[in-house]
Amino acid sequence: MLWLQLTLTGLQTGALYALTAVGFSLIFGATRVFHFAHGAAFVLAAYVFYWADTAGLGMIPGIVLAALAAMAFGVAMDRLVYAPIQRHEGSFFTVFVASFGIGIVVENVVGMVFGRSFVTIDSTLSQSRELMEGVYVAPLAWIAIACAAVFFAALQLFLRRTHTGMALRALADSPELIRVFGLDPRRLSSIAFALGSALVVPGAVMTALGSGLNPALGHHVMLISLAATIVGGIGSIGGALVAGFVLGLAENLALIAFPSQWSEAVTFAILFLVIILRPAGLFGRATAH
Amino acid sequence: MSAVLEARNLTTGYGGAMVLEDLSIALNEGEVLCLIGHNGAGKSTLMKTLFGLHPAGSGEVVLRGETVTGATPKALALQGIAMVPEGRGIFPNLTVDEIFEMGMWAVGVPEAERAARRDWVLGVLPVIAEFRHRRAGTLSGGQAQMVSIGRALLSRPRILLLDEPSIGLAPKLFQDLLAPIRALQQEEGLSILLVEQNVREALKISDRVEVMKSGKMIWEGRPGELSDNRKLMELY
Ligand SMILES: Nc1ncnc2c1ncn2[C@@H]1O[C@H](COP(=O)(O)OP(=O)(O)OP(=O)(O)O)[C@@H](O)[C@H]1O
Ligand SMILES: [Mg+2]
Repeated sequence: MLWLQLTLTGLQTGALYALTAVGFSLIFGATRVFHFAHGAAFVLAAYVFYWADTAGLGMIPGIVLAALAAMAFGVAMDRLVYAPIQRHEGSFFTVFVASFGIGIVVENVVGMVFGRSFVTIDSTLSQSRELMEGVYVAPLAWIAIACAAVFFAALQLFLRRTHTGMALRALADSPELIRVFGLDPRRLSSIAFALGSALVVPGAVMTALGSGLNPALGHHVMLISLAATIVGGIGSIGGALVAGFVLGLAENLALIAFPSQWSEAVTFAILFLVIILRPAGLFGRATAH
Repeated sequence: MSAVLEARNLTTGYGGAMVLEDLSIALNEGEVLCLIGHNGAGKSTLMKTLFGLHPAGSGEVVLRGETVTGATPKALALQGIAMVPEGRGIFPNLTVDEIFEMGMWAVGVPEAERAARRDWVLGVLPVIAEFRHRRAGTLSGGQAQMVSIGRALLSRPRILLLDEPSIGLAPKLFQDLLAPIRALQQEEGLSILLVEQNVREALKISDRVEVMKSGKMIWEGRPGELSDNRKLMELY
């Protein structure tokens, strides 16, 4: 029953990876900004939730505060860091360095405030129960999977059915044409950052309740988001969702054969396989450029 | 004849390079003004500056006697201007219906009026009905151009800025496209600023012509006079 156990934990991990990666993919898809500090938004949200818990504020206010923190961080990055770089027609590399640098700053500030060691929140939600003989599942697993389904469906509805959603789908093609239509590309870009950053919250909260936090978590989150975006197909948020699950499952199922410190190697192996065999990603459209 | 949209002593460029130098031009009420000039003369830059997409360095943009220099495209759209940009004026990931819907929402057409507006545009450019449910990325150049013009008409503009609508179109297709625009213009008294490379076709539907060279206006007159002017006709 080991494989069933690992599949279930894999789905739980994958659900959280998936939403976080969808957030990154949404931001990249709409704005073409390589938001390397997406992992930092995750760390911020997780620690704000942790702080709210230690301050006794309760679960729901903690989630709301975490969401506000992540969204404020994303929008601030867009307005204060990426917008000036774009105004001066800065290169991809400038964006990368600025974004990476901010990620390091966040990691260090969080480390100074909360310490660098592992912290976790005790909760009955993370206590495993025996599903069948030898297979243990915590309520958190079902919540994670339900969250992934609900939030992804809501995001799809938003992108398909609302005008702002349509504009976000159009933005990446031509911010100039967006202006011809009478819309403001800067405002749309901030909306993309706010939404994409909010999508880290379920993962951040459940990581705080489950496997625990440390300030360096952002790097792993970023690696997963990036890998899922490439494996799923750049620009396809559905692809990022599926790829998030694939990576979560692979990381856990690999435990059958390899020790746990190999988990990132498994991510890279999948990434390289996709890059070699299917460069456009699982759901990528072959584009002209 | 009164001017509805004017550039007065407009100077602008990109970075250090000047593109328009002390340029003045006026679009009169109810006319089709054809603007011609070499590649890089600054025609598109003028269009963009008139529509608030590009900042004016000095000089002003005047709409019905009021200075609107620096106004946003949305503000200008609300005052009755619409622009069909150079190149593909469509979003390949959206369907034609979505482009229309988003276009109307962007300029604040009330929800209750949108269906009627769309039907009106489909009346002006009926072929669009054949591909309204398709993703715009799959349209041909001519179909995309129709959608781009249709989208601009959705705000029921009084002033239309058309930047090279013929690009990528066969002359016959171009006529098919221009004929309904001209009909609409005459019917409703629209004022149209038309930038074209395809001079012969464009002159047929124009009331007046201005010729532009290196950011300056060098000639102005009636289409017939331009056709008679051998030197200019050879150039364009
Ligand atoms: N975004 C830009 N950045 C820098 N220079 C530009 C930009 N757009 C146009 N230019 C330059 O400004 C000048 C005028 O360009 P513009 O597009 O206005 O010309 P045009 O008359 O529309 O030409 P065409 O007939 O080829 O469309 C050209 O020299 C062009 O290289
Ligand atoms: Mg041009």
